[in-house]
Amino acid sequence: MSDLLRMLKAPGASIEAADDFDGVNALYRERGWSDGLPLVPPTVERVERMLAYCDRPWDEPVAAIAPRYGAATPLRLAANAVMAGCRPEYFPLIVLAIEAMCEEPFNLYGIQATTHLCAPLIIVNGPVARELGINCGHNAFGPGVQSNATIGRAIRLALVNIGGAIPGLGDMSTFGSPAKYSYCVAENEADSPWEPLHVERGFPAEASAVTVVGAECPHNVNDHESLSADGLLTTIAGTLAITGSNDVFYKAEPLVVMGPEHAVAIAATYSKLEAKRYLYEHARLPLGKFSPENIERRFRNKFPERYAQAGLDALVPMAQCAEDIMIAVIGGAGKHSACIPTFGATRAVTRALKLRDGRLAESVQEFRRG
Amino acid sequence: MSELRKRGLVTAVICSGPFLKLGQAQARVFGVPDLPLIVIQHPLGGLALADVKARAEAAIPKVVALFKERLQ
Repeated sequence: MSDLLRMLKAPGASIEAADDFDGVNALYRERGWSDGLPLVPPTVERVERMLAYCDRPWDEPVAAIAPRYGAATPLRLAANAVMAGCRPEYFPLIVLAIEAMCEEPFNLYGIQATTHLCAPLIIVNGPVARELGINCGHNAFGPGVQSNATIGRAIRLALVNIGGAIPGLGDMSTFGSPAKYSYCVAENEADSPWEPLHVERGFPAEASAVTVVGAECPHNVNDHESLSADGLLTTIAGTLAITGSNDVFYKAEPLVVMGPEHAVAIAATYSKLEAKRYLYEHARLPLGKFSPENIERRFRNKFPERYAQAGLDALVPMAQCAEDIMIAVIGGAGKHSACIPTFGATRAVTRALKLRDGRLAESVQEFRRG
Repeated sequence: MSELRKRGLVTAVICSGPFLKLGQAQARVFGVPDLPLIVIQHPLGGLALADVKARAEAAIPKVVALFKERLQ
């Protein structure tokens, strides 16, 4: 008997159903184990093929997923990855992303259960992003590429089925978001003028890494006319500066996604840190642009040292310091960037892809058993 | 809250109607399925101070009743 068959004999570890696609899907929808789209039935054989890319014990939890704090074992994650339509070689990144978003600074409980519409965004860097063909170019946030679509979907299914993010029960989002179906991209390192996101965040360039961000959907920044860094950053700063963002009220990390053409033009004048400083200084709104209730009940109460006596012309930044504005270079040709506000009460977490012995993985094939 | 409950203190969570199911699920997750949940009118956010006080006044008799029941 295989290890997997032995594990599946534990009470509640498996269910038996007829080998029928429609029947299995009806059963899963009925039990709420679904995002509403058709699922690939997680048969023993398919789950075992997924687990072939896992170098740790299949029944030992790698994390507990809020708000249910369900045990995220590789076995359970693999079942969800199968259901999402993942290829087995994607599995190491799924485990890594779940571990990253279960770290305390990310505040997954808040992100899952809040009325806000955020979803965990997964940004992949390093050689494994290229190995798995994760789209970092045209339509990176949209459909069309299996790894983007199904890695993000596997994460969502795990958040629902293991974490209990069931709409109206464990997920109290007023609206939800299309990003809750799938939200996974790679950074366009080849076309970026700056160091990759994971390098900026302390990891070696040869590492592969995921960065998870508790994020809203992207909001476009169209600028076809500006030729200078200052011109482009003025447009981006104007799009960042909004009154309805959670980021204004927290130690947050709003994300600016620069299209490569914008990034290259900006990098002709500014380093990435200098661009952040520009955005921090210019993405500001006069206090008087906010409602009187928000001024009195939030700004003056929450940040009394800054706003207790401030006049209505005092400028409110969209982050608490320049370094907190994240910049990633993603996308294809075109004069566009995007602003992605966050849940606010969350910090992005970056984790490198490592083998069980602690070595950095150079390829997902190193995870393969047998 | 669940830790306080496990230590034997009289505890309750006050929540608005739409969050009752989340509260019940969390109570089960944290091993205190009988944690009292005192429901107040939704919403709690975005209220004038007078309305916040009205919510509190509506909750107080339920809190007092809970204390009387648990301390008997």
